[in-house]
Amino acid sequence: MNSDSEVIPIETDVLVIGGGLAGCMAGIKASEYGVKVTIAEKANTLTSGCAGTGIDHTWAYIPPIHEKMGWCIEDLMEDHIQGIAHGFINKELLYLVASENYERVLDLEKFGVNFRFDDSKVPGKFRIVPQFHSVPSSFNFDGRPIKVKLTKEAERRGVNIINRVMITDLLSTDGHVSGALGVGTRDGKFYSFKSKAVVLCTGRVNRLSRIVSGVWGNHRLPVYETGDGRTMALRAGVPIINTEFFSPALFMIGNYEISFGVPRAEVQPAGSITGPNGEIIVPRTYFYDWENLGKEKWTSEVRRKWMAQRRADRPPYPEMYKQGKGPFYLDLTGGTEEEIKYAEWSVSNEGDGFRFLDYLKNQEKFDFRKDKIELLPNSREMAGTAASGLAVNKDLETELKGLFAAGDEVGGLPWQASSGAFTMGWHAGEMAAKQTREQKGFLPVGEEKLASLRELCADMLSSKEGLHWGEVELAVQNIVDYYAGDVRAEEMLKRGIERLDDIKGNISFRAENTHELVRCLEVRSVIDNAVMVMRTSLERKESREVPFKFYRADFPEQDDENWLSFLALKLEEGAFKFSKIPIK
Amino acid sequence: MFRPVVFNEEVCNGCNTCVDICPMDILAPNPEKGKPPIVMYPEECWYGGGCWARCPLRDEGAIQIITPLPMRVSILRGDR
Repeated sequence: MNSDSEVIPIETDVLVIGGGLAGCMAGIKASEYGVKVTIAEKANTLTSGCAGTGIDHTWAYIPPIHEKMGWCIEDLMEDHIQGIAHGFINKELLYLVASENYERVLDLEKFGVNFRFDDSKVPGKFRIVPQFHSVPSSFNFDGRPIKVKLTKEAERRGVNIINRVMITDLLSTDGHVSGALGVGTRDGKFYSFKSKAVVLCTGRVNRLSRIVSGVWGNHRLPVYETGDGRTMALRAGVPIINTEFFSPALFMIGNYEISFGVPRAEVQPAGSITGPNGEIIVPRTYFYDWENLGKEKWTSEVRRKWMAQRRADRPPYPEMYKQGKGPFYLDLTGGTEEEIKYAEWSVSNEGDGFRFLDYLKNQEKFDFRKDKIELLPNSREMAGTAASGLAVNKDLETELKGLFAAGDEVGGLPWQASSGAFTMGWHAGEMAAKQTREQKGFLPVGEEKLASLRELCADMLSSKEGLHWGEVELAVQNIVDYYAGDVRAEEMLKRGIERLDDIKGNISFRAENTHELVRCLEVRSVIDNAVMVMRTSLERKESREVPFKFYRADFPEQDDENWLSFLALKLEEGAFKFSKIPIK
Repeated sequence: MFRPVVFNEEVCNGCNTCVDICPMDILAPNPEKGKPPIVMYPEECWYGGGCWARCPLRDEGAIQIITPLPMRVSILRGDR
C-alpha cells in the first residue's frame, strides 16, 4: 500500500458496519425491503464478533411458558430494571428487547439454529437455566455455528458481505449520514462507501487495559473489537454515553480468561464455589423445579428482596480476596453424571469454550468429577453491565439522521447480551431500510476526509521515527489502569488526561505493511476510547457502586438527585461537550 | 515467545480455511500449494480457537493450539 493506493467506490442503500450478531441480523432484515444492503466487516463474518466462535445463551419473554405461569413482559422488564440495572437503564429500548426476542429466536430457528432439546422437561423443549433474571427467561441453544448460519442466510438473501475492510470514518452531509471510509486490511486499498443509511455494529472496546496473564490477546472478550464505531461516531459529532463505567476485573476462570457465559462464574447445574478447605462460598445451582415453578407469583417486592439476599450472601471475590479468604475454586464434584455432561456441553458451546474444554480434557487431563479449577482475576473490561455506547432514540437512530446503531454499539442497556444483538440488529435493519426508500439519490460526499485518511496512512507507512502499535497500546493501557482504575479522583484523572493528550498529540505510529497499519488504526481507536473513559470519569461527580463499581474518592456517595442520568459526551468543533440525559 | 498455532504437515492439506477466518489475521497461506499456512504474527493470537474449531481436518490432528504456560488454568487435583 502506498499514498496513491487505489480507491474502491461502493454505492449501497444500507451500509452495515460490523458483521457480528447485530450486524448480520440488521443486514438480513434490511434485505426484505428491496434495497441494496452491504455489510463491511473488519475480519470475516464467519468468525467475527463476540459470538464468533459460538454463543450458547440468550434471554427472552417466552409466551408459551411465561403466560401459563402468569408472568407478563412487564414482570420480566422490572426484573431486569431492578435486579440488573438498578434503575439505570433505557426502558424504551429494554421493552424492544424483552418483547421481540422470542420472535427473533423463531427466526433464528428458520436459519437453522437449534433451540429445542428432546431431554427438556419444559414447554417448547427449551433448555431453560437460572441466569439473568428471577423470571426463568434464559435458555441455552446450539450456538457454536451461529455465525456460519447467519452468514449463509445473509448471502442467500443477496446481502453483499465485504470482509477484511476496517471502516475508520463516517461521512455526513448537512446533518445526514452519507457514507463511510475504510481501509482494506489485506489489499491496502481505500474503500469509499456512499450510502443512504448506516447501521453501526462494531461492538465493544476490549483493549483498554493490560491483560493480567501477560499473554497479549488473552482476554475474555475478543481483542479485535477496539471500539472503532464509538470513535468514528464521536468524530462525526454523535453523543456517546456511559463510557465512564469501565469496570474492574472479575474473578473467573483466570489465566485462560473464559467466562462460561455465566455471571459470578457459576456453572449450571451443579457448580458451586468452594474455599481453600472445601468450605462452600456459593452453593451449587440447580435446574428449575418445573413442577412447582409459577405457583407463587413473584411480586417486585419479593424479587427485590431475593436480589438483595443474593448480594448479601457473600461479598464480591476481589473483596474476599483482599480479606485473605482465597483461594476460590469452581467445584462441580457434587454433580451427577447427567449434570456434568450437561455442564460440559454448555461450556463447549460458547466462545472459546469449545477449545477450552478440549484443552482441559486433553492437555490437563481434567475431570469435573474430582478436580476443581481455581478462580483468578480476569482482565478489566468495558463490560456488558457498563452499557456504554451511542445515544439512540427508540428506533435506534442517533442524532445524525440515517445513522443507526445496534447490539453492543448502543448505550443505556445493561446486559442486553445476545438478546439485544438479535432484536436491535433486526429493528435497526428494518428502520434503516425503510428510511432509504424515501431518499431518491445519494448525497454528495466531500473529498476532504478521504484525503486526510490517505495522509494518515501514508504517514504511518513512511514513518522512520514512529512507534510500533504495541508499544503505544501498552503505554495507553498503563495510563488507563493507573488513573482510571478502581479509584478515581479529580486531580488524578486530570493528570491521566494530560498524559493521554500528550501521546495523542506527539506520538506517531510506524507501520511496516498493511497488516501493521490496521493495528495502528485500531490503537488510534483505543486511544480515543481511553480519552472518553477518562473525560467522562472526571465529569461524573458521584460514585455508583451497583452495578457499575464506579468509585470517585472525592465524591464517595451515590447522588441520585443530580446523577441518575446517562452522561453524554460529544465533540463540537473540536471541543468535548457533556450533557445529562435523564433516565425516564 | 509463544507458538499458539501449530500445524501437522503430515495431515494439513493447506486448504487455508483458517487463514480465511482468523479474526486477527495472523496467518498467511503457504507459497507452496498444499502446505500448512504460515503463522506470521503469533504474538497477536487471541486464543479464541476459531481456526482450530473450523478446521476440516481437526479431528485428524491437522491443527493444534498450544496454551502458553502463563495461560494454563490452576487446577486443584482431587486425588492429591
